[in-house]
Amino acid sequence: MQPVSVSMALPGQARQRVLRWVLIGILAAALLIWPLFTHDLFYTHIATLVLLYCIGAASLHLLVRLGQLSLCHAAFMGIGGYTSALLTTRLGWPFLPAFVASAIVPGVVALALGPILLRLRGVYFVMITYSFGELVRLLFNEWQSLTGGADGIFHIPPPHPFFATSREYYYFALVMAALCVGFTGRILSSQTGRFIDSIRESERLAQSSGVPVLRFKVMVFVLSCGLVGMQGSLMAHYIHYLSPGAFGFSESLNFLVFNVIGGMQTLAGPIIGAVFLVSLPEVLRGWVELQRVIYGVILIVVMLYAPGGLVMIGRRTLELLPIGRGGGS
Amino acid sequence: MSINLLVPIVFNGLSLSAIYVLVALGFTLVFGIMRVINFAHGEFAMMGGFALLFFYSQLGLPYWLALPLVAPTVGLFGLVAERLVFRPLYAQELPSMIAGLGLSVALADGAVVLFDVHQRNIPSPFDDILTISGFTFPEDRVVVMVVAVAALIAFWLFVQYTAIGLALRTVAQDREMAEAQGIDTSATYRITFFLATGLAGLGGALFAQIYALSPYMGLVPLVKAFTIVIIGGLGSVPGAALGGVLLGMSESFLNTFYGASMAQFASFGAIILLLILRPWGLLGRPEV
Amino acid sequence: MSELLQVQDIQKRFGALQAIELLRFSLNEGEILGIIGPNGAGKTTAINLISGMMRPDNGRVFFAEEDVTGMSPHVLVNRGLVRTFQATTVYQDQTVRENVLRGAYAKAYPGLLKSLWRGAQGLSPAEETFIDDLLAQLGLAEMAPLTARNLPYGHQKVLGLAIALAAQPRLMMLDEPAAGLAHDEVVHLEGVIRRANASGISMLVVDHNMRFISTLCQRVVVLHHGAELATGTPREVTRDQRVIEAYLGTPHEPA
Repeated sequence: MQPVSVSMALPGQARQRVLRWVLIGILAAALLIWPLFTHDLFYTHIATLVLLYCIGAASLHLLVRLGQLSLCHAAFMGIGGYTSALLTTRLGWPFLPAFVASAIVPGVVALALGPILLRLRGVYFVMITYSFGELVRLLFNEWQSLTGGADGIFHIPPPHPFFATSREYYYFALVMAALCVGFTGRILSSQTGRFIDSIRESERLAQSSGVPVLRFKVMVFVLSCGLVGMQGSLMAHYIHYLSPGAFGFSESLNFLVFNVIGGMQTLAGPIIGAVFLVSLPEVLRGWVELQRVIYGVILIVVMLYAPGGLVMIGRRTLELLPIGRGGGS
Repeated sequence: MSINLLVPIVFNGLSLSAIYVLVALGFTLVFGIMRVINFAHGEFAMMGGFALLFFYSQLGLPYWLALPLVAPTVGLFGLVAERLVFRPLYAQELPSMIAGLGLSVALADGAVVLFDVHQRNIPSPFDDILTISGFTFPEDRVVVMVVAVAALIAFWLFVQYTAIGLALRTVAQDREMAEAQGIDTSATYRITFFLATGLAGLGGALFAQIYALSPYMGLVPLVKAFTIVIIGGLGSVPGAALGGVLLGMSESFLNTFYGASMAQFASFGAIILLLILRPWGLLGRPEV
Repeated sequence: MSELLQVQDIQKRFGALQAIELLRFSLNEGEILGIIGPNGAGKTTAINLISGMMRPDNGRVFFAEEDVTGMSPHVLVNRGLVRTFQATTVYQDQTVRENVLRGAYAKAYPGLLKSLWRGAQGLSPAEETFIDDLLAQLGLAEMAPLTARNLPYGHQKVLGLAIALAAQPRLMMLDEPAAGLAHDEVVHLEGVIRRANASGISMLVVDHNMRFISTLCQRVVVLHHGAELATGTPREVTRDQRVIEAYLGTPHEPA
């Protein structure tokens, strides 16, 4: 059959790829341009937070895809945050090496602990990571000579005087989030990602096909914890303040909730989850009293009626539109 | 160690243990039978506190009528939650966990909307201090222990000697086999949730009376329950009892000699060690 | 004929149960060796010990003249020692083709950095042909785009075999491959095993079905209470008095 038009000639997969890049392009342009049209710095502030949380949500997604639901992700964010905050405020390091250290230190901790923690699976992994997370939070709280205790650390400098204002920091966060999420996406779409999925779907089959399961899990754990450590650093240098309360159990749960509400099957899930749930309280500003109640009810409703997460709702809606049809997958 | 020091520490430890066991029992029951990790468990304890406040302080019912009313009241709320949130998500570990988390947030912050966030006290009718051979015991703590032990004995008798109790034990052992024997598992789930939330409510009421009552008080009982079931074994009822006593006593000892933060460090450290060496807990069964 | 696999007096205890007691046998390059025994004789444990899923308490395992005792399964796979599972073990939510691909890919993992550099990569034409041939050989070609969970039980078992074959093993250990299969499916399975053997892959087949083992294997090891009871041709061992007693002594007689 003769190709009638260029778009018809493209096979389904290629057409989807083009569509995807067009969508990413539009999204990137929108993210770059919109702050120039608003004078309400509150929105850029919320958007910056959303971007930073996307890093943590995406990094936890690596572990979710591996089948290991961690409840100490915020603890690693804290390790990163404290590393970078202490190096800049106490030792006077410039931002960049401190930022690099904020990925390396949590990564090294993960490398040391991973072989022990990752032997446990399912509910036991949830429990041990929960305990470890609380232990780290206690450590932040009690090691006052180092961490400043419950009061936290003040006057953390911005990465660069240029990024001292909200709008500039937004662009900085946008670049960092794009890099981190892009890196995560690259992992998942590569051969490594195929193994990650294999391990979740059937650990012993993956093992008996030649995948070094434990080594792989530790590797992914290190990457994931390093990435969220970077979020910790970026948060600290954005709000110029750090305290143990921000790295406890409920923060770790938030990361997991981003994944579950957005959808655990694809990387888009945690991103959508983070965008939705970080901005939701702001959208609900009119109902200050009921804000958190609505948040809780939404969690329940999504679990009951859309267990695949918001991504599934989006995908089903797309299938009803002509643009999403064809190509299949 | 002198006996003068030991007696108050043990007494304090036992009264802590009594409350801990009450709260942890429901938590482990819901997991053992329904395979649900109920993150809203602490909020049912919080409800118990408010129920006691309502019956005793506001309605002015006598204490020994108000306190027993707390358990079935919270249990009824538990039944509603079971129907609306947990029943559609049976056998789905993660979704039910997240939905429970949503319930926890909705209940705690719902309570803030209804009752305001400030802490309040439930005045205890027992404010005497008992003196026995030179040792002093606050009377309200003695009452707490008596109530908790009575509730635990009632629970044990119920599970051990009633037909419903037998059904619960069978389902906890092997759900498929129980179904094959014609046990209505869905009914046992309802009973389980009623019992579990009722016990949590009672524990919460006692907790609120000793410490303070506030909408966000549920986090502490939840964390304690979580810790206890890790120690004793997730889903194991004797494990919850053992874990509760171990946690209560060790907290009391460590608190006295090394301070509260050291006690917490020690308990989390012990848990991590235990999970590495024996993830199914002291009295749990390893899963195949 | 050289010995590809040598199992030397391995032992394994679980609590009070001596699961494997001084088990000793060897497998020649190119042969199909059967291990037979009633339920609970320790057949699956033996495979777990050889494939590295468990470590023996005592004794040694040699593969291709190398001591491989206690090596991790993934290392053994790279050496050419691959196993299958008794229960159907496939990636349920993936297509048949993707299942086989995963079996083939694991050996060729380029490392994290290289895999990130390459990104999502297609197959080389040679690899495409390898997978297609494998699927065709096993009668799975038409089902390649189907999701594994939608396959009939028998085909899922064959797919399990295909995943193992994709790793291009020298020795394949099959744990009860015929369990639960209908007669014509068993015949198909026998064909698959014979063809793979003819292409140079040695086989260790564990089963409790004597008829299945006898049609496939040149030699049989009879396992009883975790120890070797007799070894010989299928005809020899079925006449062995100890074997008859062991089998008749157990209430569940081989199907």
